[in-house]
Amino acid sequence: MFIGTEKLTYTYMSGTPFAATALNEVSFSLGKGEITLIIGPSGSGKSTLIQHLNGLLKPSSGRVYFKGQAIGSDKGELLRLRRRIGLVFQIPEEHFFSETIYDEIAFAPRNLGLAESEVRIRVKDALEKVGLRAEQLQYRHPFQLSAGQKRLVAVASVLSMNPEVLILDEPTAGLDPSHRRNLFALLDNLNRSGGLTVIISTHHLDDVVALAHSVFVLQGGRMVLAGPPSEIFTTREKLYDLGLSLPSVTEIMHSVKEKGLPVKTNIYTLAGARQEINRLKGRPGR
Amino acid sequence: MVNRPEIIVEARNLAYHYPGEEATSFPALSGINVAVYRGEYLALIGPNGSGKTTLLKLFNALLVPSDGEVRVEGVSTIDEVEIPRIRRICGMIFQNPDNQLVATTVEEDIAFGLENLALPSAEIRQRVGEVARMLNLEHLLQQPPHLLSGGEKQRVAIAGVLAMQPGCILMDEPTAMLDTASRRDVNDMVRMLRQNHNIAVVHVTHFPEEAAFAERVIVLNQGRLVRQGPPKAVLTDLSLLHSLGLQSTAASELAALLREDGFELPSQLLHNRELVDSLCSLELKS
Repeated sequence: MFIGTEKLTYTYMSGTPFAATALNEVSFSLGKGEITLIIGPSGSGKSTLIQHLNGLLKPSSGRVYFKGQAIGSDKGELLRLRRRIGLVFQIPEEHFFSETIYDEIAFAPRNLGLAESEVRIRVKDALEKVGLRAEQLQYRHPFQLSAGQKRLVAVASVLSMNPEVLILDEPTAGLDPSHRRNLFALLDNLNRSGGLTVIISTHHLDDVVALAHSVFVLQGGRMVLAGPPSEIFTTREKLYDLGLSLPSVTEIMHSVKEKGLPVKTNIYTLAGARQEINRLKGRPGR
Repeated sequence: MVNRPEIIVEARNLAYHYPGEEATSFPALSGINVAVYRGEYLALIGPNGSGKTTLLKLFNALLVPSDGEVRVEGVSTIDEVEIPRIRRICGMIFQNPDNQLVATTVEEDIAFGLENLALPSAEIRQRVGEVARMLNLEHLLQQPPHLLSGGEKQRVAIAGVLAMQPGCILMDEPTAMLDTASRRDVNDMVRMLRQNHNIAVVHVTHFPEEAAFAERVIVLNQGRLVRQGPPKAVLTDLSLLHSLGLQSTAASELAALLREDGFELPSQLLHNRELVDSLCSLELKS
């Protein structure tokens, strides 16, 4: 197990009349280099789960594992963990606090106690990884950037720690379709070329399911479904019951099949749907 | 329609520069001429940084024009004395409802704007009761807003604006942070407002599936209005959308690909149902 949990349970405001169980015996295991989606309605425990994975919250009971070792509660250990497991919050650019993009991205490596010469390399590398040019942007104020660039800088500010796992909470909220596709292409590339393990919590499945190796579905703090996309999106009724939807393309394929045309439904991209529908006509499609 | 529809908000030769950006390559908005009609559902789309949010802010006098003018029910937003009235007529809903809920209970939150108008308390109670009934919030009135789901919070924010009896509601990506069920909730409500209460809605969205339900779609790019028309016309102009990094609905995108492959599908197809029905009527061999 590269990263995972065992019977992870978390109760907010435990011991008060407001106690609420946000996670209930959640167990999962991910291999190195996987891309995983966590989906579920608002309040199902997605963000609570994510915050356990880099030690921001401590389990009420159960355990979190990283590289086969249970995560303890020792402060030094948690600090080391947070260097290995980077977390990009929702609308992360709202948390920018530095005067320049350079300082924003340098914050984490400086905190690691690295020499400024090493910090400089980390900042340049991180900006390059997200496809931004350091020499052009690094001394500008973060608020001078476009929405898409700000989001990329936020991701770079986490990548500058060289994490082994990158966790993103609703990473594309507010991004237009091309920035959205760019961000997913970037994650796909970091995963393929660098073996980065990626965990994405999201309500918006289009464009991202095609990248995912596995999908976890949370509801009411429990893991109700887990498996590869081809399993999770096979039956829509179950997801509808959970208040969830399918990727738009998959939804179309289900409806086509329901009307009696023999198509596969485990399709998540326009190109895939095009090919599958062409197959009906006995043509290869493109 | 026999009568000429009544204009509620109008921009004439509108331009806006953010302070300090007068010298940059293009202003946030320029040369905008547009009218919002009473009771219409208008979707505003465009890439990040195209000026959508800026236009909304100009519509309710959060910003005043650098050039040209905005009139709300005929009154120019430059007139400071009229600003409270303009904001009452044009209410604003932001992407993140947490940024706009201020009180300790839902009831007080909905009443907040009314109290600022110094209305008699009997009238405040009556209006709060009315909008709570309308938006199905009656059972939540005594709840603290922070314990509600994302969709419920957004409904409370909308209720607070509705209680002011506006002529127009400006919504800036109101569903970006919401799950599927809440998104459906908010979208159903937008349609209800228009149909039953003759309130205009200007909806900024990155989701083509939402824009497809509007009566009119406006496309902004680099601060200019580049296209407007009914969704059937604008959202099926894929070469325009793609050139701006935008996309249409999955059904429309897939239909375009299939048309290239020789499938005879109607050209103005936007919704899944239309695509599925058209495909099934083609008598494909199985």
